[in-house]
Amino acid sequence: MQSTRSLPRWRRVFQSNRLYLAVLMFLVVFPHLVGWITGDSPFGVGGRPRGQSVFWQSVFIEVFILAILTMSYNLIFGFTGVISFGHALFFGLGGYILGLVLQMTDLGPEIGLVIGGVIGVAICGLLGFLMGLVSLRLRGVYFAIFTLAIAEMFFIYIGRWPLTNAEDGFALNNIPELLNSTRNRLTYYYLALVLVVLTFLFIRRLINSPTGKVLLAIRENENRAQAIGYNTLTFKLVAITLAGMMAAGAGMLHVILNKKVGPETLGLTYTVDPLLMTIIGGVGTHAGPLIGTAGLHLSERVFNREFIIGSTTINIGQNWSLILGIVFIVVVLVFPQGVVGTWARWRQRRRAARAPTEGGDV
Amino acid sequence: MDETILEARNLRKQFGGLVAVDDVSLRVRRGSVHSIIGPNGAGKTTFFNLLTGTYKPTRGQVFFKGQEITQVPLYRRAHLGMGRSFQITNIFPNLTVLENARLAVQAMSRINFQFFRRAESFTRFTDRALEVLTLVGLADMADYPANVLPHGGKRKLELAILLAPDPDVLLLDEPTAGMASEQVPELLATINVVRQQGQKTIVLVEHNMNVVMNISDVITVMNLGKLLAEGSPAEISANQTVQSVYLGELYNPSEN
Ligand SMILES: Nc1ncnc2c1ncn2[C@@H]1O[C@H](COP(=O)(O)OP(=O)(O)O)[C@@H](O)[C@H]1O
Ligand SMILES: [Mg+2]
Repeated sequence: MQSTRSLPRWRRVFQSNRLYLAVLMFLVVFPHLVGWITGDSPFGVGGRPRGQSVFWQSVFIEVFILAILTMSYNLIFGFTGVISFGHALFFGLGGYILGLVLQMTDLGPEIGLVIGGVIGVAICGLLGFLMGLVSLRLRGVYFAIFTLAIAEMFFIYIGRWPLTNAEDGFALNNIPELLNSTRNRLTYYYLALVLVVLTFLFIRRLINSPTGKVLLAIRENENRAQAIGYNTLTFKLVAITLAGMMAAGAGMLHVILNKKVGPETLGLTYTVDPLLMTIIGGVGTHAGPLIGTAGLHLSERVFNREFIIGSTTINIGQNWSLILGIVFIVVVLVFPQGVVGTWARWRQRRRAARAPTEGGDV
Repeated sequence: MDETILEARNLRKQFGGLVAVDDVSLRVRRGSVHSIIGPNGAGKTTFFNLLTGTYKPTRGQVFFKGQEITQVPLYRRAHLGMGRSFQITNIFPNLTVLENARLAVQAMSRINFQFFRRAESFTRFTDRALEVLTLVGLADMADYPANVLPHGGKRKLELAILLAPDPDVLLLDEPTAGMASEQVPELLATINVVRQQGQKTIVLVEHNMNVVMNISDVITVMNLGKLLAEGSPAEISANQTVQSVYLGELYNPSEN
């Protein structure tokens, strides 16, 4: 560790991020790698979005979108220590607002995308701020229940709103050609990847900044943070506003990918999934949401189907939720810090074993 | 010289039917060491919580530097120059020892909403944090998470967090609570250093009579939420009521 201090800055940055960079490099070449191995072009087969590479691109785009959502959830849940059960609200509402602007105005796909995107992110940020303002004085489970109530209220209301076709939702086809995931899936893949990287870097920057340190202090001990002079409400509002904005962005990526806006994006799934993925990956770590999201989503894609072994057919799909539930219980009971947290803890303990014994006594 | 820096006027705090602090008035002189003693459950911690703003009083007022602060929220009182430590260790367990102290310094600054610079790059805050950690004897533990500290170390960190922002008035709630008795003189020596370095006012809650007799200018005795007596250490040890109600119990060797 000491020796790295003398290296030039870029080398230090490179060294401390080499694992992330390796994963990023892999994800950059991944569509082409699959294409090369399977012989299916990453641009599709026969002018159509078919083939293994295109299929896996879709799977990974979903992972990227969920990763952004989960990282944003981790900002409030993992780094600030605020438990919200209403995160789907921002995800769904972001998609709805963008969809409404694109489909119901004459702005055209490009301008509509920019304006809808900005308005959606702004409204979700504002909504997060207002929800926090009226309810963040409540602590722990009371805040969680309040957010759940608000999110469910939107879910039920929008699910019955005639303008957006109630529970059917509406199709989104007025989108820029470049983002058309049928014809330009590879472009969409890289766009989503870039947004994952930006979200990751933004959150990491924030957490290492003076503001982020206060968020950690609030998570660790809100009373003490107040006693030493922090107006903790303000900082929690910053966190929930930013998280709401990021979740809205993820929701927009989701509706553009699926070319459909529907009330299921406001449902409990998009609150519970980020929660599970954060916990399994590692609450309050930077890599945790990424590992949790990739792990859960990819294993669902791989295992959530029928397996035929010899003459018996095992349908894991039917039992997928059960399996997920068991995995979750095991993680919570045995590795409450999740994958990343457990690993970090192990390293920390090795370090602590080498700690000097003075300074503390007793 | 006799200027009052902190004053409680007829403070009362009720928890349901229980009156934890009952009509307590008190003046703390600037630059003095003012101790509050009393048996467990006397209401000392609750009284502290009223002074520092953790609780709002049921009745009564608090004045600080000539200004009424009864309704001023907890976090703002720190900015007025009031710092407190806690009887039950109250730190940021998963942050490093250094970060615990650094956060207390940063709280007094204008950098709290700097999103895009590393907190460590503001070196004067880190330097100040290391300075107090050195003072309390925790400098070599700076990079370890606070929760690996043994109890005595956590008590020192508690003190470091209090000292880091350099408050004018230090309210210490049983700083030696739970410490091994051979460590107590060291901690008191640290408090004495701080006192002599600046014109600090110290309000000290203690359970242990021997500790306060040497360093206090004024001693206030509380019992059952009420103010029982106030005076110099000599006056207090001579006071008949205090002797019968409090000292007898405390000097009982079966306690502690
Ligand atoms: N938050 C609270 N809710 C209810 N009762 C409390 C609370 N805090 C303290 N008390 C009660 O108030 C009385 C005084 O407690 P405390 O101020 O902690 O005494 P001391 O610090 O002198 O030991 C005790 O009877 C205690 O049980
Ligand atoms: Mg007490």
